[in-house]
Parts: sequence; structure tokens; C-alpha cells
Amino acid sequence: MRYLDGEMSAAERTAFEAHLASCGECRQSMNELGRVERLTGMMKIRDPQDDFWENYWKKLFRRLERKTAWLFIIAGAALIVLYALWKGVTDFGEITFVKVVAVIFAAGFVILLISVVRERVHRYRTDRYRDIER
Amino acid sequence: MTVTDGTADISKETLQAWKDGSVKVFEEVVRSAMRRAYAVAVGIVGNAEDARDLSQEAFMAAHRARATFDVERPFFPWFYRILRNRCLNFLRKRAGRREVSIDVLIEKPGRSESPDKGVMRKERAEALWQAIQELTPVHREIVILRSFQELSYREIAETLGISEGTVMSRLYYARKSLYGKLKDVCDDLYREGDDEP
Repeated sequence: MRYLDGEMSAAERTAFEAHLASCGECRQSMNELGRVERLTGMMKIRDPQDDFWENYWKKLFRRLERKTAWLFIIAGAALIVLYALWKGVTDFGEITFVKVVAVIFAAGFVILLISVVRERVHRYRTDRYRDIER
Repeated sequence: MTVTDGTADISKETLQAWKDGSVKVFEEVVRSAMRRAYAVAVGIVGNAEDARDLSQEAFMAAHRARATFDVERPFFPWFYRILRNRCLNFLRKRAGRREVSIDVLIEKPGRSESPDKGVMRKERAEALWQAIQELTPVHREIVILRSFQELSYREIAETLGISEGTVMSRLYYARKSLYGKLKDVCDDLYREGDDEP
């Protein structure tokens, strides 16, 4: 491999070429691998057009902005639910329409939260790539 | 690989400013590394649209995790691990139903072109791309880094956190596998001497 990829010193190359001259098996192997290297060396990955790169940052920034916005919305919703639950427990009083809506909203939020946590735990336990450093 | 990212030009000061939270500097970091990030991602996942989305997600994840980045070290190897993880997770979820673009590879310019040869070269590029996409992700990645990113063994070893011996071993098996899939194409090319400029 080092021979093909130009990673050998001049002395190493000379010694390796001498070995190749006398070893048919290595010569055959080098020929095959060299042909692959020659083929890949002729190619390059197509560079997308300029507008692709122009929009790349814009789209990334929008995604970042929206993700941040969603985090604030979820945090706000979580606080409202917690507040509603706290008020419900400490000052239940008579059942009103607003309280019923708050309980339904809180129930939905808690179910969603449990579902997401359960999915994350399951994914973590079955993730073959979890040891890969992030 | 002809696209360059210039990440080597990102100064420590710039990286420190990004780490301190400057979105303006984050844009500079992204613009410096986006071409390389995209090229690596398209090599691993196989199609342009997913590569764009995954490389953008990796930048977002890097931005969130910037506190863990050591400005004394180069940016791209650190970022690459985030990107690689995203790509591998994506492939795992998409197992068996992955979409592969066919026109990602092209021949480098500077060769005399006749219409017949043009078609042949296009087919050859597609065959190579298809064969690369049939490799395991680990072998695919090593071919992309070496043959299309033109990284040295040492750079690949540092980027992947493996020894140079492992780099050589993976490259050997990847190329052996590619030859098995592309024997006719490689041998035809050799017979034609078409690889000579």
C-alpha cells in the first residue's frame, strides 16, 4: 500500500521494486491494486454548483435558529405544565374549563415525554455505534 | 479530490472566538470546512441531498459541543468524528433502503475527449461509484479519505484515531474488494492505456 500511495522513501522504493522483480505473487497483487488506484486517481467527487454553496450556510443558519426556537417553546410549555400541575395540586378548588384543558395538556405532555425518553433508552441500548466518539 | 476546505487556515483565535459563542465566526468556520464535510459525507452515505443535510446537522452538533473542542488541536479531525457518527447512524437507520446518486463521481479534467470516450468515462465513473457504495462503511470511508480527500496515512490515522498500520490494512482490503467488483473495468482501462493523459 505504501508503495502505491507514494508513502515510501526512495530507498524503500528501490528495495521494494527489487523484491517485486523476484516475487510473482507480490507483483500480481501490486498490479491489481495499482489498477484500482489508477482508476480512482482518475476520478473526483463532483463539486456542486455555486448556488448550492451559497444556500448552504443560509439553510444551516435557519435550521439552527428553528431548533433554538423549538427548544424555547418546549421549555416554555414544560414550565406552563409544571405551573398548572402545581396550581392544581395546591389550589384545586372547583373544576373549571381552564383546569380541564390544563389537565389534558399536561397529560399529553407527560405521555409524549415518557414516549421520547423510552425511545431514547431503547435506541441507546440497541445502538451498535454508541461507542463511537461523538 | 479537488475541492479544498482551507481548514488549515482557521486560526486559533478564530476557533477561540467561535468557542466563545460568536455566530459570525461560526459562519466562517462552516464556510471553511463545508466543502470537505460535504465530500466526506457524500462518500459515506452515497447521495448528495442526504450528504448536505447530514453535514449541516454535524455542524449544528459541533456548534452545540464547541465547549469540548480544544483550540490547540486541528478542527477537522474533531469535527469529522461528529460527522462520521451522524453518517453511520443514518446508514444504520436506512439499512437496506439507501438511495445512491449515480452522478457523484466525474473524471478529472485535462483529458482529450471524444464522444465515445465521454460515454465510456461516464459509465466507468458510475461503475466505480457503485462499487465504492457496495463496500462496508469502514472501507468506503478509507477510500474516500485516501483517494478523494488525498489525505496521507498519518492524516487519516489522526482523523480516525487509528494506527497507520490499520489504515494500510483497511486500504488493502478495500482496494482488493474494489478490484473484485471492477476487474473488467480496471483491466480494460489497463489494456487501453486510456489512463495516460
